[in-house]
Amino acid sequence: MSNCDQIRDLLALAASGALDAKSEERVAAHVRTCSVCAAELDSFQLLARGLRRLPTPQPSAMLVERARARAELSMAEETEQRSNRKVLILLIGFAWTLVVVSWPIVRLLSGGIETWVSTRLPQSWYAFAGFTGLGWLAAGAAAIVLAWHNRRERETT
Amino acid sequence: MIAAATFAGEARVGLEAEVSQLRRGDLDALSVLLARYQNRLYRYLLRLVRDSADADDLFQATWIRVAEQIRKYDPSRNFDAWLFTLARHLAIDHLRRRRPESLDEPPAHDPQGATPADRLPSAERPALEGIIDREKGSRLTECVVELPVIYREVLSLRFEEEMKLEDIAVVLDAPLSTVKTRLRRGLESLRQNLEARYPGERWL
Repeated sequence: MSNCDQIRDLLALAASGALDAKSEERVAAHVRTCSVCAAELDSFQLLARGLRRLPTPQPSAMLVERARARAELSMAEETEQRSNRKVLILLIGFAWTLVVVSWPIVRLLSGGIETWVSTRLPQSWYAFAGFTGLGWLAAGAAAIVLAWHNRRERETT
Repeated sequence: MIAAATFAGEARVGLEAEVSQLRRGDLDALSVLLARYQNRLYRYLLRLVRDSADADDLFQATWIRVAEQIRKYDPSRNFDAWLFTLARHLAIDHLRRRRPESLDEPPAHDPQGATPADRLPSAERPALEGIIDREKGSRLTECVVELPVIYREVLSLRFEEEMKLEDIAVVLDAPLSTVKTRLRRGLESLRQNLEARYPGERWL
């Protein structure tokens, strides 16, 4: 491969400003002595200049306005969904606290302090705990399925 | 030079502020960013899909995607590259649906097995200097439009958007060496197109 052939592969990149300093120096040194490659480099530089100055098409004002309106809408939806999620988490937390706190209070009021401190838990307590646990498990599973479904729906639109 | 660098620095700081405002859900920041990028983004989309109605649709879709995804944007990354990547994904999906235009690398174009020596400028080739006037600019546009999409986009990102090669690699999701190969082949194909279309003429 002659020197010209090696340099010629670099000329388009040289005109694109895409060479490292060493290769650029190699090209510069070569074109100083080779008029054929110098002309080739010139033609690529001319193309590069032409590409930089191509007329820039502009979007119409109406299009920009429409894009802004629709993006704002989807931004607002996104924000609303986020705040909805926060409210939901708060509500769930509140419900949990309520359940956990209310049971001892109910026991305290209905049976007095004795049943509350007694180590033998009545059967109704197990029933209550079982039902509550099952309810929460079902609700949790439903929430996960719903969230997954929502996400898929958003991704496809 | 220093003034230009200072200006570029200020522009970057301004951009970072706008992007972080947008991440907090500030709608004014959306308008500012849209104004800042509207012409560049539209131009890039038009270079990719070539049809202005399609570019219009994709322009809107890109900004909706920006609104949806901005919270996932990592501020340590280059925003231009992020934005153009979003636009590119939408445009490429669109091209895949609409046209069977190949998005793969075309084979290196060497008509009739031309040797490198044949590609050298001949003595008869007209001088290339001269002012690039409007008519000749549109000749160039015509020939750019005929290039495969992978060349159109890399030429647009490099020369019109003046993106760094590293950022182009991010947008194209390709290694740096691929970006360089496409740049070189893109320019070479463009020159061949111009020579074929306007033989013996001063095409620029």
